[in-house]
Amino acid sequence: MNKIPEQIVAKIKQEIDKVDDVKLKMVATEEGDVTVIYFSSLIEKMTLQTMVTIPLANNLKQIHQMAQYVDPKDIQGVVKKLNAGQTLLFFHEVNALLSVDTYSAPTRAITDTETESTVIGPQDAFTESLETNISLVRRRIQSSMLKNENHIVGSETNIKISIMYMENIVSHSNLDDLRNRIDQVDYPLFTDISVLKQLIEDNPLSPFPQYYMTVRPDSICRYLLDGRIVIFMDNSQLAIVCPTSFFEMFVSIEDYYNRWTTASLLRMLRFFGFFLTIMITPMYISALTFHPEILPYELLLNLQESRSKVPFPPLIEVLFIELIIEVLREAGSRMPAKVGQTIGIVGGIVIGTAAVEAGLLSNILIVLVATSALLSFLPPIFLMSNTSRFIRYIFILSAGLFGLFGQMLAFAWLIHHLLSLKSLGTHYMTPAIPRKPTDLLDNVIRFPTKYLKNKSGISKAQKK
Amino acid sequence: MSTTNGKVLNRYHVIFLAQSIMVGTGILSLPQKLSSMGYAQTFMPLLFGLLATLTAFAMVWLCSKFPNDDLFRMNEKLLGKWVGRLINFLIIIQFIVFSAGIISNYMHLIQSTALQEQTITLPVLCFLLLLIYIVSGGIKSIARFSVMTFFITIWIIYFTRWAIEKGDPSHFFPLFNFTSKEFFEAIKQGYFSILGYELILFYFPFIIDQKKAFRHSLIGIWISIFLCFITTAISVMYYSEWQLKRVEFSVLNLFKAGEFTFIERIDIIGITLWVFLILSSVTAYVWCAKRGVDTLFTKKKKQNYPLYVITIIIFVIIRMPFSREFQEKLFLASNYVGYLIVIWPVFLIIIYTLRKKQVQV
Amino acid sequence: MRKKRLCIISFFVLVLLVGCSRKELKVPLEDVGMVDSMAFDYIDENQMKLTVAIPQYSPEAKKNTQIFSITTDLVSSGIVEIEKQSDKKIVFNQLRVVLVNEDFARKGDIRKIIQHLYRNAEVGNKVLIAVVKDNAEAILKADYPDKPSINFYLNNLLEPSINTAFNPNTNIHDFMYTITNPVFDTVLPFIEKRGEKLEVNGVAVFKGNRMHELIKPEEALVIQALSGRKNLAPLHLDLNAGHGEEKLMIDLIESTVKKVSNKNIESPKLTIFLKIKGTLSEYKGERESQLITTESISELEKDVNKQLEKNIGEFLERLNNMEVDPAGLSEEFRMYYYGEWTTEKTRDLIRKLDIKLHVETSIISTGTLK
Repeated sequence: MNKIPEQIVAKIKQEIDKVDDVKLKMVATEEGDVTVIYFSSLIEKMTLQTMVTIPLANNLKQIHQMAQYVDPKDIQGVVKKLNAGQTLLFFHEVNALLSVDTYSAPTRAITDTETESTVIGPQDAFTESLETNISLVRRRIQSSMLKNENHIVGSETNIKISIMYMENIVSHSNLDDLRNRIDQVDYPLFTDISVLKQLIEDNPLSPFPQYYMTVRPDSICRYLLDGRIVIFMDNSQLAIVCPTSFFEMFVSIEDYYNRWTTASLLRMLRFFGFFLTIMITPMYISALTFHPEILPYELLLNLQESRSKVPFPPLIEVLFIELIIEVLREAGSRMPAKVGQTIGIVGGIVIGTAAVEAGLLSNILIVLVATSALLSFLPPIFLMSNTSRFIRYIFILSAGLFGLFGQMLAFAWLIHHLLSLKSLGTHYMTPAIPRKPTDLLDNVIRFPTKYLKNKSGISKAQKK
Repeated sequence: MSTTNGKVLNRYHVIFLAQSIMVGTGILSLPQKLSSMGYAQTFMPLLFGLLATLTAFAMVWLCSKFPNDDLFRMNEKLLGKWVGRLINFLIIIQFIVFSAGIISNYMHLIQSTALQEQTITLPVLCFLLLLIYIVSGGIKSIARFSVMTFFITIWIIYFTRWAIEKGDPSHFFPLFNFTSKEFFEAIKQGYFSILGYELILFYFPFIIDQKKAFRHSLIGIWISIFLCFITTAISVMYYSEWQLKRVEFSVLNLFKAGEFTFIERIDIIGITLWVFLILSSVTAYVWCAKRGVDTLFTKKKKQNYPLYVITIIIFVIIRMPFSREFQEKLFLASNYVGYLIVIWPVFLIIIYTLRKKQVQV
Repeated sequence: MRKKRLCIISFFVLVLLVGCSRKELKVPLEDVGMVDSMAFDYIDENQMKLTVAIPQYSPEAKKNTQIFSITTDLVSSGIVEIEKQSDKKIVFNQLRVVLVNEDFARKGDIRKIIQHLYRNAEVGNKVLIAVVKDNAEAILKADYPDKPSINFYLNNLLEPSINTAFNPNTNIHDFMYTITNPVFDTVLPFIEKRGEKLEVNGVAVFKGNRMHELIKPEEALVIQALSGRKNLAPLHLDLNAGHGEEKLMIDLIESTVKKVSNKNIESPKLTIFLKIKGTLSEYKGERESQLITTESISELEKDVNKQLEKNIGEFLERLNNMEVDPAGLSEEFRMYYYGEWTTEKTRDLIRKLDIKLHVETSIISTGTLK
């Protein structure tokens, strides 16, 4: 009889061989010897003391209240628990294995959002801790209807995700669909929720993001109450909102804090900015190579003059400057902040002015490219602004091929692609072909807040 | 894929399918086609609308007797397997040639305005790729595309503003100034511009609300008719009779009349944007042809090979070294066959009433 | 899945095809010579002299316009000849002005030339056409030291402006419209070179395809007023109605015209109601001190009406005798005529036409000084 506990401890030891942050301690208590096993890297010393060490020494009852019994034969399960930051207590005398949840890895504090900052509205953002994130939502929606289901994904990383929804509003068919998709995910490594997002999207090959992602708790709450489903992942700052629509990529939560007039203006800017940014530079190519007649005469003469020194055809010229802009942007975002500033100045001055003077580019093109680069940063969703840059290359190439006709073909492609996209089974272009007439109230024009009580059609919310 | 999912088309889809298929290249040259009537052509589109309403009624009535069958199956049921199949085969050929005609017409227009001094092989190829992409999404995808097309292109009506300002409304008078010969010539030449609504014979089984299908299609048809009417009315105001006869694509010249300060030639924008309208009508025809091939040859559906073959045939018709004259004749013939398809349901209705007892629906 | 694959394949095909298209890429903008103005001079029945002006952007060149001249029989073969001399490809997509000299307008086939340009899809609608006294080539080639370039000068000169509202601003569509429309006779502005300046000093009236008569700006204004133009040039009037010699200038604000025909082409009668509204901008004569009361102004209005009726009546009479109808008066009869309307009918009708005129002037102010 006495040998079995030794065996189990030995097995566990074997399993965690060469894991140096696992601590094994023998403690003598009233109920005999107890082996304490835990990961020192996942558990703070204070927590260990208050939860385990002190109760072991003084008050075993407390341990029994807190702890769960674990089947010692299921070694895999035991190790999983260990990995999740639980402390295992092995009572040699009674041959029982108990686990106490002592997970207390250090987390960072709630800070301001840097990626989606707004002038008006709450400034707190999600952190990388699932508990904190859920708490940030729960303190805003104090309702028992707010459910969160935990799942574990990732065959190796064992990451905890949490699906959140309002039980009384959400569409259950959507929910089942999402659960199915998450169940089918088979992928070892989840370093961020974006990885999961790409695995459960409707069309993973599309350049468009099909789920909304944000770090703003207020935004998440808005969507939850609209009947959307939100997914959080431990160790990931972003949260996914699904389903979503193309149009929502241009909606910032700040729109609801601003006056409706300002908000509508900004939305129009963002929405039409997207189409402008993919059209401006291709237009330059089309006009210069194929249809000079569409430009006013005076402008055309200017263009002729500034183009006269440029040795390449417009297509190459545009691709050249667009790539330089991409390089600048990429370099700027990878550099440490202080160096990044220098890059901006170098890029702006050297490439802008010097390239024109050297006769590599025409100065009108610089204006256009700069405008379209700025426009591409208008969507509040960063993924969307990336998409618009990618789409722009398609348009540039097709303009290089057939001018305006090529652009229109590409536009037709874009429209059809958007029309056939789906987000969690709901059409991506939903507001364009409205599911509900009231959707139009909260569209490119945001109506005054008192008209916005309706749930949007996209979430297929339950009727009360 | 929505092709096999049963009923997928809601009322907006039905309205705009009928509307978008009708507006193709036809409307561009409608005033020229009707020019035998001179200034009196203004109200011809309205007459066409009446004709279309009547024939559409016959079509929908026939379809409502066979709520789950398209024209291909109806032919087989009503005319017997072999005669029906022969007719179906002819219809498929007709649709292929007709779509090729539309594309070729449009591409030559593009070649002469937007892409001068360039061969159109590549543009046609890219166009067809896009066509395959859209058609393979099934009728619902085409319908959704049609809805968007309408809203993306409808604002080019605004561009005719300058032509209206310059035009002279007195051209409408005297109202009925034509001979019967001119009148029939105009019908013969012009009616094919509004063809397209007959495709309801093929997508009827996919309509959710079949009882109201007629009403919804009528809305679509009359939107198109109204657009045609605007076109002819503005052309009549803006042109002299000589110009009506000679200017082939009068809509283009209407666009030419206007200008913004930053864009001088609206006609180029207009004509390239027209690709949406062309796509929405050609995709519907190709989809029908594909369904025809499906019912005719393949056992298993959901295969895309017929679509590829159809597209290749279209490409060959457009780009093969046939003489331009032969092509023109071919396309003209297919226009007239198009009239036959409009009349065809009436014929089928007669057969249906005769053989009512034998045909089990 | 197949759809997605297709999507990707098409994208790559597109990318690859960009490579193929290199070889047939069009001439880039900087190597294109955009013809801005064309001029035609009459040599004989078969030959004409074609001159084109192409703006030059290069700062090194001494002149800012390239001018090429060639004698040719067809427009397009002339262009081919010019292309041989030019370093650039000649395109017409920014054509703005077509000048034709008087000889050509009177003897040559101007309709054929314009129709050739009208057929060309490259050519926009903005092309303004004008008739030139003596030599059109000389106008393009002359030096205008105080103007940036001949192209802008000509274009701005011919474009609509309120002080030259008698100018019909005939563009390529208007030309084709009026010349092919049986109820109209074409009118074109007439330009004369005086020293270093150009001047629009009249309007050429066509009869059929040939220029028939040159009329003065004041009379041309009548044509514009009768064909329904709303904003007209300031009206200069000499009155002699019991108050001695009077000269006055009316800034026209708005004019409306209504034509009522008796619908009978055998004995055609047309009543024209012309209402003009304007401000009296300048007056010289006997009544100067009295023109502060409404009564005296309405008296002046009556005098103006009479004078205008007389002037316009005489002018229309002259046009009727010439059997030309630049204002499209016969449209009022065509509207009620069943059957085909022909140019002969217009000529016939205009000859017989009996016109009654009612002019109604209202001077709405005399300026801010009392």
